[in-house]
Amino acid sequence: MIIKGKAWTSREYIMSFDMVVQRFWTSPIDKTENAKFIMAGVDAKYDRENAFKDEGYTFIVAAHNFAGGGKSIEHCVTGLMGAGIQTVFADSFARLQFRNAINYGLPFVTAKNVIDMVETGDELEYNLETCELKNLTNGQSMMTAPVAPFVAEVAKAGGLMDFIRQKIKDGTVGELR
Amino acid sequence: MTITEKIMAYNSGRDKVTPGELVWTDVFSVMTMDYLGKETFKMFDSLGRPEVFDKDRVICVSDHLVPPPTPQFATMLNEWREAVKAHDITYFYDLGRQGIAHQIMVEQGHVLPGKISVGTDSHANTYGAVGAMGNAVAVSDAAVAMATGKSWFRVPEQVKFYVTGTWQPWVMAKDLSLHIMGMMRWNGHLIYKTLEFAGPAIDALDMAGRMTLCNMTVDLGAKNGIIAPDQRTIDFLRPVQKGTWDMIASDPDAHYEAIYEIDVTNLGPTVSRPDKLDDVVPVETVVGTKFNKAFVGTCTNGRLEDIAMVAKILEGKQVHRDVNFLLVPASTQIMKDAIKAGYISTLLDAGVAVDTPSCSACAGIHTGVAGDGDVVLSAGNRNMKGRMGSKNAAIYLTSPAVVAASALKGEIVDPRKF
Ligand code: SF4
Repeated sequence: MIIKGKAWTSREYIMSFDMVVQRFWTSPIDKTENAKFIMAGVDAKYDRENAFKDEGYTFIVAAHNFAGGGKSIEHCVTGLMGAGIQTVFADSFARLQFRNAINYGLPFVTAKNVIDMVETGDELEYNLETCELKNLTNGQSMMTAPVAPFVAEVAKAGGLMDFIRQKIKDGTVGELR
Repeated sequence: MTITEKIMAYNSGRDKVTPGELVWTDVFSVMTMDYLGKETFKMFDSLGRPEVFDKDRVICVSDHLVPPPTPQFATMLNEWREAVKAHDITYFYDLGRQGIAHQIMVEQGHVLPGKISVGTDSHANTYGAVGAMGNAVAVSDAAVAMATGKSWFRVPEQVKFYVTGTWQPWVMAKDLSLHIMGMMRWNGHLIYKTLEFAGPAIDALDMAGRMTLCNMTVDLGAKNGIIAPDQRTIDFLRPVQKGTWDMIASDPDAHYEAIYEIDVTNLGPTVSRPDKLDDVVPVETVVGTKFNKAFVGTCTNGRLEDIAMVAKILEGKQVHRDVNFLLVPASTQIMKDAIKAGYISTLLDAGVAVDTPSCSACAGIHTGVAGDGDVVLSAGNRNMKGRMGSKNAAIYLTSPAVVAASALKGEIVDPRKF
């Protein structure tokens, strides 16, 4: 599968509690709702309904510890998905949101120094099978870390909850290893 | 193999595991608490299993919002109670028996050496203090673990901190946590990794100090922290443990991505300056800084040993008239022990407000929140803008000893010299 679209980038630490600001921590999980004020604390201009979404990004490219700060809220991931984000590339990810991303089927892909080849607004193309990331704007490209088979399986099932529902139905939970 | 690899291999029925690998493992206990609990049970109900995997091993705790500060939260807590009751959960630590969930999990023996536990809150890594693997997860992961008794994990890379030397008076485990924060910064070195703490200075740490150290690993960006069980662990767990366990430790030839050596002999009281946790300095640098609020509590520093330190410093003295000092024990058990030991009356005599166990001011959503212009000296774990309430408040993080000694003067002092 090939994904194509515009990238939003940041070299700063993007913290989970800035992606979803405090007043939404207890909101229900809902992609459309959670997307409305996503990134509101990262940049004041996004503290307006659908401001980030309306800029129309498909990818996020970041440096270290993306979505760090350890908030065990899922709104970061559902909010990004609701805003149209299909893949996030970074040097490293905070583990809580890495889990959430896998559980919801949004690939968080490790790509060393990816931030050096992308500017906000660049058009990117990512091949999920070959793991090649191309910057169509400046012609650069790189190989990212592969996506583990389990991650692909969960994404195919439509996320962790559906993956487990199916296993419970089939009586195959015991086989999870 | 390291203790972490052994735990992950053993609980996933493998001979060995490799960092980076994704594995499903057995989960010994699952913790959920008031403000995410209702959502967790809702998720669980949607999975198609009528009962949780083990009623004795799903632990429910009210901590962030008890007693409720607003009608909205009161309603939320009522719904949470309904959900817990509906699932016939054995261990429900609600108002009256409450405490901060991570404290309860360790103190009441719901986490055990060599076992894996998950909780719907970021500081679940506190469980490493007894040699358990504690993992913070979000609600869907907790729901899956409640239904299946399993969870998936990425086997982490591991880093060892070998800690030697002699702890100096007035220096606490919190100072070591903050020191490591300043030493490693948030530059990616520890992200997603397990931090194993070992060495003579760790052996010398009481369980409270071990909990502080493991607790703050998440704030370093790490996955978790772990300390192999020893005689102290056995003595601590024996009266409360909810299950059996075996001693477990890393092999002498175990491989780590990096090993850092720290000598605590030269470690002094340490402070993290407002807004960025990794902006850490020795207390000397900030001596003289005025503040108007002091806070001791949280899953990091709300334990009996912390309260004892505060009481020792404040005994027979008075908190400065410009300082509001709030102290909140991390659990009902700690409150009872602190009353028995006479600490609470010492604190009240000194002009400290003592509140019923909860997360209280820590997350800025409950009691004792910070307002515009407040400068808070806190023994908590996070100091980003707005953490304790207003974005226009500044939070200095440090040990209970520094908070207590400074509260007498209304400005930051070095507890070794007060
Ligand atoms: S005390 Fe603070 S950090 Fe600990 S669980 Fe409560 S809110 Fe979270």
